[in-house]
Amino acid sequence: MRNKILLLLLLLTCASCGAQNVPDPVQPTVSYTLCNTKATAETQQLWSVLCSEYGKRAMSGVVANVDWNTRETENVYAWTGKYPALNVFDFINIHASKDFNPQGWLDYSDLTPVTDWFNAGGVVGCMWHWQVPANNGTNYTCSPGTEPGQTSFDPSKVNDPSSDEYRRMVRDIDQVAGYLKKMQKRGIPVIWRPLHEASGNATEFEGGGAWFWWGAKGPEAYKALWRFMYDRMVNYHKLNNLIWVWNSQVGDWDWYPGDDVVDVVGRDSYYALQYPLAKEYNELKNHYPNKLIALAECGNGDEVDMSLWSKIWHEGSRWSWFMTWYDYNYNAGTSDEHQFAGEAWWQDAFNSGVVIDRETMKSLLK
Amino acid sequence: MKTHRVIITFVLCTLSICTLYAVERTILLGPKTIGKAWRDNIILEPRHFADAKAGDILTVYNDRAKGTAQGAFQNPQNWQGVAPEYGYFGIAGPFRMTLTDNILRIARAYGIAIGGHDYRILRVTITDAADFQETIVWKGSPVKMKNDWSTSAEIAGRCFETLQQGDGLRLHISHVEEGAACKLMDFTWHALDPSVDGVPVGGDAYTWTVNSRAPILKLQLAGYGNQTAMRIGGKGYRLDSIGIVRQVGEVSEDLSLAQRAPREYMLQPGELFHGEKYFAPDWSGNLSINAAPFQEVTENDVLIISYRLDTEAVATGTKAQLSIRDARWHEITGGDEPIWYPLDGTDVVYMFDAVALDRVKTRGLIVTGVGFTLTKIEIISAQ
Repeated sequence: MRNKILLLLLLLTCASCGAQNVPDPVQPTVSYTLCNTKATAETQQLWSVLCSEYGKRAMSGVVANVDWNTRETENVYAWTGKYPALNVFDFINIHASKDFNPQGWLDYSDLTPVTDWFNAGGVVGCMWHWQVPANNGTNYTCSPGTEPGQTSFDPSKVNDPSSDEYRRMVRDIDQVAGYLKKMQKRGIPVIWRPLHEASGNATEFEGGGAWFWWGAKGPEAYKALWRFMYDRMVNYHKLNNLIWVWNSQVGDWDWYPGDDVVDVVGRDSYYALQYPLAKEYNELKNHYPNKLIALAECGNGDEVDMSLWSKIWHEGSRWSWFMTWYDYNYNAGTSDEHQFAGEAWWQDAFNSGVVIDRETMKSLLK
Repeated sequence: MKTHRVIITFVLCTLSICTLYAVERTILLGPKTIGKAWRDNIILEPRHFADAKAGDILTVYNDRAKGTAQGAFQNPQNWQGVAPEYGYFGIAGPFRMTLTDNILRIARAYGIAIGGHDYRILRVTITDAADFQETIVWKGSPVKMKNDWSTSAEIAGRCFETLQQGDGLRLHISHVEEGAACKLMDFTWHALDPSVDGVPVGGDAYTWTVNSRAPILKLQLAGYGNQTAMRIGGKGYRLDSIGIVRQVGEVSEDLSLAQRAPREYMLQPGELFHGEKYFAPDWSGNLSINAAPFQEVTENDVLIISYRLDTEAVATGTKAQLSIRDARWHEITGGDEPIWYPLDGTDVVYMFDAVALDRVKTRGLIVTGVGFTLTKIEIISAQ
């Protein structure tokens, strides 16, 4: 009998080891909740759909071509006859927005690209490559450092209301909040992913570091900035249409701002092979069991081409959504091949049966 | 007498035509794919440069260039750029290099390696400098580009009235400092194409070939007359003048002396490497394979490494051996010390366990060693 038990234990152990790459369904007992209890009805509805689909299908998404458009969604439509469900706009050029800068070349206060997309049934996302003045005084940049084209902007000054940096941060946050508020007034919920990739590769290997200024002073300054932004947007500006996505880098557990200010944990990958992605997904899910996990940015990288979505899913990843990156040159007609995710990749994604397009999303949100 | 005059006249005419329009001759015939991550290159043989002279132009015609593609002209002896500005540069259409005495010295001794990433070489040619005619279109006060990128020159639209697709815009520069780079912008301060957004420059000139209509339209329409059409910025050099360069020569169809790129081999299912890779006694040889081909490998698969012993090296006392690491140079088995496989001519057969599988599927692998020529790496199923 004892031998039988040992044998059974051995078999069970083997089975559990062998199941490492088998699809890992999302725990149905977990209740995912928005951290903002005052979220608008539209935001709660979108959240409810994301939660109910989590583990079953992934929402498809693309980022805008640089800033304020839905150019990449047209590529996907041309290749597949379907639109992705999510378009993510980037506040990267707010310093050149005409409502703040008469010499600017775009206008974030004109919501037309957003409302057109939303009215067609699309889900709206926003991210922010938060550019501040470079050390040379003429350019704007996100890159930290002491070179003329980089910025020494110090995120820890978020704790010093008398500093220039603090005033700049408040001014910029308020400007972006203004655009998000306009969306709220039009009933548009926003998947909001600010301050992304904060730790860079600082925690991945020796000699690594942050590649955006908001991570340049380490995790404590970063978390303070996140919480400051959350407080300013949610409590001060009463923005209740945001689903807050925090972007995790490999091994950056110390950088997590906290369960009370994060709804979704994202991961960006340009080494997006099915096996490493499954490992990373499982690691994130185990570490943040009460949060949705999303592939917030993905695409072909310098070393490898991204695995097909069907393979990524088959390997066990259950990302809530994915967002492929834009190719400026492809969109400008100076490159024939999409650098990050082209026709074959998108066709496979929609043929996999586990990807939600815009039409499907529209019906789910009804 | 009359016949002689006719013959002499004919010879003189022929010579003058040859002098006016030398031919562009092909020295390498592709295709040669330059893939991802700086892994591929091809070396132009030294013989092509025996008759070349300083000022001649080397042109690399290419296709399938991704937006972020980069090219390089390197010294195969040390893999450095043949000049600082040729270590790497963006690609948008054919790219060119003006041969200098120094570059010719390298080329005649070792050849020139063409590398980079994400494009395909179709053809490489050498053209006499006289085949390019230049018209200076701007010669304002010289503009010194400060090291903080804060300086730029404004060029009026009238300078580009005759610009045509296929022309080169040649920037004559001087006072070049280490790390000098140039940015060609439209009047709204946007780079005209990705290949000129901070491109390294050196020597006394930089030429940008205008391969599409888009920038021409931009320059000619936006900057009509004396309006600013273009801004030239960068750092670490002085802009002295600008010329439009047009190729007027002919192309030789004679390919008899052209070097042929090796036939591009399509890896068979299961093959990870096929070819010849020499692992010299000085330990300089290694081969890296990324994680992509290992994604569906299981513990039922084995890795087979085939090679040919370097009998000369072995005869002089080199112990032929190899080891398999992951892409971060850690032993693939997870051990602290590398395992060395002695080579006797038979294939190395490696059976994956869970640790090794995890490493190759996450990071890929590197084969390193001495005293052999690698010929094939493949994965076969043991079942």
